[in-house]
Amino acid sequence: MSNISGKAYAINVITPIPWWKALWQYIAFKFVVLFPSNLKGLINLSLIHYARWTVIGRDSFPHLAPSQPKEDLHYSYMMFESNFNGSWDQYIDSFSFAIPEGLDLFWRFNVGYPKSIPLHDFYDYIRFNQVENDHFYNAYPCAASNDVKSASALFDNLKAFSESKLELEDDEFLAAYNALLRDNQQHLGSMDVGPAFSPSPFSNAKEA
Amino acid sequence: MANTSGQAYGLTTLCPIINGYASVFNSNLNSNTDSAPINQNQSHDKEIRRLLQALPSDEGSLFAKTDNTYFARLFVLNDVFFQQGNDFKRDQLKSKYLCFNSNFHGELEPYLTGMWNNNESLVREIWQHCVAFEQVNHAEDFVAYIKSCQIDTTLFFNGSNDKPLAEQLKALYVKHMFSEFVLTQQGKSAAETKQGFKYFLQRVQLNNIDSPSWKPGQSQIQAN
Repeated sequence: MSNISGKAYAINVITPIPWWKALWQYIAFKFVVLFPSNLKGLINLSLIHYARWTVIGRDSFPHLAPSQPKEDLHYSYMMFESNFNGSWDQYIDSFSFAIPEGLDLFWRFNVGYPKSIPLHDFYDYIRFNQVENDHFYNAYPCAASNDVKSASALFDNLKAFSESKLELEDDEFLAAYNALLRDNQQHLGSMDVGPAFSPSPFSNAKEA
Repeated sequence: MANTSGQAYGLTTLCPIINGYASVFNSNLNSNTDSAPINQNQSHDKEIRRLLQALPSDEGSLFAKTDNTYFARLFVLNDVFFQQGNDFKRDQLKSKYLCFNSNFHGELEPYLTGMWNNNESLVREIWQHCVAFEQVNHAEDFVAYIKSCQIDTTLFFNGSNDKPLAEQLKALYVKHMFSEFVLTQQGKSAAETKQGFKYFLQRVQLNNIDSPSWKPGQSQIQAN
């Protein structure tokens, strides 16, 4: 299993959805795309690099050669994957507490979805339907999602500063430098290897 | 429906794995002798899993050599699950699938072309266990093959940014270096601060995106 790379955890969850309800799920996601305020909770959580939901129609599993047997499925499936910072528990807890309505919108048509509250039923649902990774790559293991965003903002501000303030007299430069630090204090911070965290309660149980 | 968010691309693929047993020759990862047969009685899905779990991580990953990869994952989907009890119909997949999912900057075709050109032998070694991959001989074939296995993303959420990876890595390097620099400048005079800042700019070279910078997949902060 390789769900962890540096500060990022990669989760895969695959859940069945009646094929005719999958159409409603498409509409629900379309609604979210048209009205992205529904994603505000995810943005506020600020621990996700990238996440995605993919509805796989029951007739959409790739069939590449006559020698490959065709799938004959009752259900369509929804694959959820996310790259986030922190542990499995922190992520599921955050999801459930921060955006319960959003989760219910994203999974409401899936078979057996227990709703995001109470938490333990949601825990069990995710744990049961999770698929472990065999290889996970993260381009910046030492950085969190917030580091990537803040680094980009700081870089632009630092570049603008370096192009306009170097010719100032020393005292004026110091004042401008202090203003730069004040205005960018939320973007500052060294990075390093993240602390070790538990892969998931499921993995711990298997190791026990 | 939504494979992209700005310049970020979310690739989702299910590559069907050949049913039955593998006859595998030569492993770049686990064999010291070319053309040495290994695990001839191993099923294709187990052979793929063995290969994937032996892949180097971080800077050594094939994705560190595939330009603009933010995140990528490979796993074998053995089957679908049911915890819902006996009052629901149950499905069972007739094939196992290699799931190759990636988040990267830019367009799909050049990304996959770069992945093939920089990792051809490893890509062949992994995907040889997938249905119809014997027809893949060139980068164009690989692009077409992966596209034939692609499932369109329904909802793609980008919680980071969609800049080229080299720009992200440079910015992270500068953020780290500048934060360390700020600590060393506390209490210094105006002249010393200005002098120190000029020296800092010389070291980090803001206009050179490629160097100095972090490397893709770098898992340790280099001593300054």
